[in-house]
Amino acid sequence: METKCVLSIKSPLGPPVEILKHVFPANSNRPRVSFVAGLHGDELEGLYICHKLLRYLKNLEANQPEAIQGEINIYPAVNPQALENSTRLWPFFSIDVNRTFGSRQTDSLAVETSQALLEDLKSSSDTVIDFHSSNLQLLELPQIRIIKDFEKKLLPLAKKCNVDLIWIHPNAEIFASTLGFNLNSAKIPTLVIETGICLRIHPEKGDQIFNGVLNLLNELGTLKLTPEPVKEPHLVQPDQVKMVQAHHSGLFIKQVEAGNFLEEGERIGKLIDPIEGSILKEVVSPCSGLLFTIREHPLAHKGSPLARIAELGVQ
Amino acid sequence: MKEKILTLPTPYGGNLELHKNTWGKSGEPLSIVSGLQGDHLNGLFLNSHLTQFLDSIVEGLDPHYTLTGQVQTFPVVNVNAVQSGTRLWPLDGMDMDLAFPGNPEGETAEAIASAILQHTKDSFWGIILTSAPPHYEDAPHIQTHKPDSREKKMCRDLQIETARRQKDSPTQKVNLFHHWQEQEISSVMVSAGSPRTINPQQCEVLFQGILNFMKAEGILKDHRNKKPDNKIKTRIYDPDEEVLVRTSAAGMLLKEVKVGNFLKKGQKIGEVRDIYSGKRLEELAAPEDGLLITLRQYPIVYEKEPIAILLSGKDRWQKIGHVFQSIVKR
Repeated sequence: METKCVLSIKSPLGPPVEILKHVFPANSNRPRVSFVAGLHGDELEGLYICHKLLRYLKNLEANQPEAIQGEINIYPAVNPQALENSTRLWPFFSIDVNRTFGSRQTDSLAVETSQALLEDLKSSSDTVIDFHSSNLQLLELPQIRIIKDFEKKLLPLAKKCNVDLIWIHPNAEIFASTLGFNLNSAKIPTLVIETGICLRIHPEKGDQIFNGVLNLLNELGTLKLTPEPVKEPHLVQPDQVKMVQAHHSGLFIKQVEAGNFLEEGERIGKLIDPIEGSILKEVVSPCSGLLFTIREHPLAHKGSPLARIAELGVQ
Repeated sequence: MKEKILTLPTPYGGNLELHKNTWGKSGEPLSIVSGLQGDHLNGLFLNSHLTQFLDSIVEGLDPHYTLTGQVQTFPVVNVNAVQSGTRLWPLDGMDMDLAFPGNPEGETAEAIASAILQHTKDSFWGIILTSAPPHYEDAPHIQTHKPDSREKKMCRDLQIETARRQKDSPTQKVNLFHHWQEQEISSVMVSAGSPRTINPQQCEVLFQGILNFMKAEGILKDHRNKKPDNKIKTRIYDPDEEVLVRTSAAGMLLKEVKVGNFLKKGQKIGEVRDIYSGKRLEELAAPEDGLLITLRQYPIVYEKEPIAILLSGKDRWQKIGHVFQSIVKR
C-alpha cells in the first residue's frame, strides 16, 4: 500500500491540512475502484467501512497479493477539518463541500479542495463508491439512491452491494453540485451508499456493507476472491416511497425501528406537545412496507420528515 | 403595511412568522428581499431604512416624494438563523438560498422559500440584498448573471458604479435569484459589507442606488425636478476581468488597503505573518491595476486562500486592442 497526498494546505498554526489516499496497486489491468468517506465531517459510518477495507486489503496484500487485480484507492477522510470538528460543514466558512462540485468559481478554499478531489478521482478511478450517513435528524437503512438518468449503468453495480434497498429517484437541481452527480456525469459510475445517522457508527450495518463492497470488487474483477453471499435488495421506484411528515410541531417519540415491516395503519410513533402535556398526533403508516427511514431527533417542526416507507406490496 | 405571510408553529409553543411590507397601489411591484442568510445584516438595516423612508412618504411626512408604483419588502427570510445569530439555522444547517423553489408542505426552509416565491411571483423587478461571504468584505456593487437589456437598464438606473457578472454555479438553480429570472422578473443582487456587521456608509450607497432606481422607473416621483449633478455610469465587469489574489503562506493577514480602493499594479495589499514568531512570511501585492471589490476581513488565513478580488479592465482592453489591430492590418 502506498499513501499519497491529494492536497496539502498549510494551516495558520503549522501542521498542514491534508487529504490522503491509500493506493493498493494492481497485479493486472482490471477496473480501478475508489472509496470516499467523510465528505460531511459528522458522517462516520463510511470511515468505519474504510477502516475495515484497509485492514482487509493490507492483510490481502501481505498474504495473497495476486488477489488484487485492479488498483484500489481509499480516501478515508476527505474533509479533514470538518471531521476534526465533527461538523457536517467545512467549519471555517460553514460550506457544504458536497454542494461545491462542478463549480467554475474558485473563490474559496472549499471549492479548490473539491476540484482537486474530483480531478484526482477522475484520473484514478473506473468506479467510485461515496459513503454517506444521514443528517442529525434521520436514521437510514443501508441503501443506494440512484438518479433515474444513471439507472442503467448503476443498477447492476448497486445490486452487488448487500444493501437493503435501492431507491431510484428523479433528478433534482441540487444534485448538480454533488460529487456523485459530477462523477457520473463524467461517465465514471459512482454509487452513493447511505447508511445510519451522523455522529454514530453502527458496526453491524457497516459490516453488511463491507461484505457487499467485497462482493462488488469481486464481480468487477478488481479482487479475485470468494465473497460471502449477499442479500437481494428491494428495488424501489419513486412512487413506492411514502414519506410521513409532521403535521404539527412537537417532539416525536418513535415506536418502531428502521428495518421493520409495517402494516398499513400500524403505529410509527407519536407527536407530543412538551409544554402543554398533550398528544398532538398518533403517527401511523400510510401503507404496508419496509420502514427504511426513521426520525431519531425528536424535535420536529411542521413539515419535518418522520419516516419513509417503501411500499413493497405493489412491487 | 406590514403583513404576516406565513405562520409556522414551533415545538415549544411560539410561532415562526414571516412578514412583508407593502406600499403603493396594486400592480407589478418592485420586491426587495433581505436576510436570506442570518448574518447578512446590512440588508436588514437597508430594508429597515427603506421602510422608514417609504412610511414617511405614504404618511405624507415627506413633501418631496410621491409613491407612484408599488414596493414590497421582505426584511427577514431566514428568521430562525437571524434569531440564532448565525448564518444558517443550526437545526437544519441548510443554506436558505439553496431551498428554492421550496414546498408549502415541506420543512421549515422549504415552506419559507415557497412563501417568498409565491409572494414575489407577480413582481416586475426584484432586488436581493446581500453581503460578502463569511470572513470577507464587499465594496457596494451589483451582481448579475446573464443580464438582458432590462437588467442592464436596472444596473444603469441604480447608478451604483460597479456591477459583476457572476459565473455559472451548479447550485444556482435552487437560488431565489434564478427562480426570479425563470419567471422573467428583472432582477439583480446588490452586495455590500461583511456578514455580522452593519456599515451605514455602505448601506447609504445602496439606499441611494435603490432611490435612483425607483425614480428612474417611475415608482417614485421626486417633485423637486432636480436633475442629478453627475449621473453615475455603471460598469459591468465580466468574470474574466476578475483577478484573485491568493496567499502562498498561512498565518495572520495584516491588510493595508480598503475595499473600494483602486489599486495600482504592485501596490501592497497586506502581508502574512507567522503567528508564533511574528516574522513576515509573504507580502501580497496587486498583480495589476484594478478596483478592490472584495477583501479578506478575518485575519487568520490558510495557504491558497483568496484574500482579495480585483476588477480589472485589462482583458477587455486587450481584446478591444486586438480587434482594433486586426482591423488596422486589414
